[in-house]
Amino acid sequence: MSFITDKQTLDDLNITGKFSPHSLFSLFNATQTRGGEKLLDRMFHQPLSDPAAINSRSDVFKYFHERNLSFPFSAAVFQEAEAYLGGSTGSSFLMVAGDLLRKKALHLTIKDEQYGQFQSGLLAAIDLLNTLQDFLRKVDGPATTQFETVKKALNAHRTKWLDGTQAGQPLTLFQLARYDHFIRHVLREETESILDFIYHLDVYIAVSNVARARNFSYAQALPKEKNIFRSTAVSHPALEKAVANPLVLQEEQNVLFLTGANMAGKSTFMKSLGIAFYMAHMGFPVSAKDMQFSVRDGLYTSINVPDNLNLGYSHFYAEVLRVKKVAEEVAEGNDLVVIFDELFKGTNVKDAYDATLAVTKEFSTYRNSFFVISTHIIEVGDTLRETCDNLQFSYLPTIMENNVPRYPYTLTAGITSDRHGMVIIENEKILEMMEE
Amino acid sequence: MLFTTDKQTLEDLNIFGKHGGDSIYNIFNRCATRGGAGVLEEMFRYPLSDSETINKRSGIIRSFATLGTSFPFKSTDFDAAAPYLANTDERSKLAVQENSVARKLTNMMAMDADTQLIYKGVESLVDLMKQAQAFMKELDKNECYTAEKEEMRAVLNDPAFAAIHESREKLSHAQIAEFDVVLRFRHRTQVEKLLGLIFYLDVYLSVARVANERKFVFPKALPAGQQDLLKLEGVYHPQVKNAVPNSIHVTTDSNIIFLTGANMAGKSTFMKSLSIAMFLAHVGFPVAAAKMEFTVLDGVYTTINLPDNLGMGASHFYAEVLRVKKMAHELSTKKDLFIVFDELFRGTNVKDAYEATIAITTAFAKKRKSIFVISTHIIEAGDVLKEKCANVNFVYLPTRMNGNHPEYTYTLEQGITSDRHGMVIVNNEGILEILRNGKKKLQKTTVV
Repeated sequence: MSFITDKQTLDDLNITGKFSPHSLFSLFNATQTRGGEKLLDRMFHQPLSDPAAINSRSDVFKYFHERNLSFPFSAAVFQEAEAYLGGSTGSSFLMVAGDLLRKKALHLTIKDEQYGQFQSGLLAAIDLLNTLQDFLRKVDGPATTQFETVKKALNAHRTKWLDGTQAGQPLTLFQLARYDHFIRHVLREETESILDFIYHLDVYIAVSNVARARNFSYAQALPKEKNIFRSTAVSHPALEKAVANPLVLQEEQNVLFLTGANMAGKSTFMKSLGIAFYMAHMGFPVSAKDMQFSVRDGLYTSINVPDNLNLGYSHFYAEVLRVKKVAEEVAEGNDLVVIFDELFKGTNVKDAYDATLAVTKEFSTYRNSFFVISTHIIEVGDTLRETCDNLQFSYLPTIMENNVPRYPYTLTAGITSDRHGMVIIENEKILEMMEE
Repeated sequence: MLFTTDKQTLEDLNIFGKHGGDSIYNIFNRCATRGGAGVLEEMFRYPLSDSETINKRSGIIRSFATLGTSFPFKSTDFDAAAPYLANTDERSKLAVQENSVARKLTNMMAMDADTQLIYKGVESLVDLMKQAQAFMKELDKNECYTAEKEEMRAVLNDPAFAAIHESREKLSHAQIAEFDVVLRFRHRTQVEKLLGLIFYLDVYLSVARVANERKFVFPKALPAGQQDLLKLEGVYHPQVKNAVPNSIHVTTDSNIIFLTGANMAGKSTFMKSLSIAMFLAHVGFPVAAAKMEFTVLDGVYTTINLPDNLGMGASHFYAEVLRVKKMAHELSTKKDLFIVFDELFRGTNVKDAYEATIAITTAFAKKRKSIFVISTHIIEAGDVLKEKCANVNFVYLPTRMNGNHPEYTYTLEQGITSDRHGMVIVNNEGILEILRNGKKKLQKTTVV
């Protein structure tokens, strides 16, 4: 079963999207090739849900992370070789030679460009294979089946001739035809898998370089049954100077009840956590130190629920529908990570209190999922403390210095009643303006 | 002093609308001429802020509406006159002497474009002036339309145009050449003035027609300094089909309208109807209501669909605070305004919203000459305001529960509603049951 999530979650966490400037995808997208970028995109859209697969992918990233390599192919050569390998050739050596002879004749008589294109494409492909071989001689690569297959293909008897050809050395027509037939017909499957391997290599190197530059770590995936999340320092990967916070969620304490003023960093913390979960399920580096997590079935966040006035939904109704959707998923017995920021803010105080209390209480009976719920209605917290035993209460503090709020962004145990909407209004001196 | 408003307000009320969309401007724009449409737009851009001018304009339109006068000019005449008058090149004058057989022949076969433009322009203008002269009798019936009528008469009776009025239907080449000089060069300003007056007339007649067709009423502007700020009966939204009319009476002792009601009960629509009526009244136009009297104010500001500017790093709450600050600044310059806030401080948590709503409303309450309409879902704020301020008028739009389904009357009632169907909606969606049943089912399967 694949990892379930939805568009709202991806938007909240700003995960995918090549063209949204601060998305996680653009953060990691330092790939050199189109194929590499596509592969990265696919990985972003299909997180894994099997601990072994996750750990093996993150091991590969770790391997490259430790070695600091750069992508060995030049963009121009690679593009040319890619275009050449994408084309097809005759099925027998004679056909290839005949076709080549025709191209050569056209080239000599009417200066046709096909022959030149063919020649440089083939040379680029040979260059590509040679470079890859050199690279793999230097770098052993992690012991995965993918690396072993490619190494075998390159070392196969039939490709021995590659060693003999060096870049820059002119080839005879006979050699050209033979090599072309070889690369594009006899070794068709091998070359295709080599190309695919290069895309993977591109992603491995790009992602691990980003991880090294930003000092990311690698999470360890644990089996589902353990129901645990643990990290000593979770922070937001896209923010410079993000403050890291430790967090442990486990079966006896699977609901985190978060309070704090506007701008104290509640949303950022919730996003950091959501992103850490998502990236970890992709096997990607995370901005969370010593992270261990039980694999989950899905992730749902509700941070910026837009109202859908076109459909006639008010903000409140949009939130209710969102909670309903998550409730259905939870009731099916899925192990989820659920993040709700400021539930029910589109209604009056009493309704918000009643609804938050009722919904949190019901959710907390499910011990197999993790819930993070933030609210301003601290009274809900007081009531929940008495009725449920699996909640942990944390808050993000605000320190007032001469009427100017300062935020340390460090998670503290307890419930806070900090609010400073009025401080903002007072700082803008609106009430004084009207006194005059 | 100018009547002020801003982009946010114009967008909230859909005054101009998006391209080609249904806007308030489009309701009134039945102008036959392009110039008239331009004048109409200008009137919308610059509403009036003095009761005399407003009453004068609305008087003119009202009389035309009662008389049922229709616009007598052909719009094609204006289309021909505009490019003709735009050509101010002296060299393009027609030469009288060239009345040769050769010219006649060429003109019969294919007249060149420039000459054709001048021929058409002169003919149209002559046509327009004759029609205007004939229309004067019709205009005499309208007792309010005096100053502009006299100006028009003065232009038409100018001796320079005598030959034009006397000319026959078919103009000779010599006549056209002669009139060309008079109309386009020698008395150009007079001609332009006449066209300008006709454009205004076009607007008046088009608005009058709309008022008749839609049964709009003409509001009466009251002089400043009265206790009554607004008497509005049967106001409705001109763009909503089968809109439910509402009445409201605002005095200096009830100048804050505190509006509550459930979502979808029609709060925003009521506020828009009210604001549109106020806006149109200040343009001097008829409004969608049964009766309206109002004290002239200095501006209208609404905040109904405030976009947050997250790109600039401002949260929705901060955007609202800045908007309130702008209002406060305007009020501190001794202006009397009509201010509307829909769902004040919805961008923050309920508790901050509660405190901020009370603080801001209390501050607004000190300005007795402005009118404020504030809607909120935080009904708790209303209870506090009831004790703190004497000049708050509490109204609400009710919801009737028919079984588990809400029904809306869209009719204002006095008081604060405690309609809360937040939990009803949560229950209707069956969220809690889903979770409870799921738990039971899961427990069963684990036991088995």
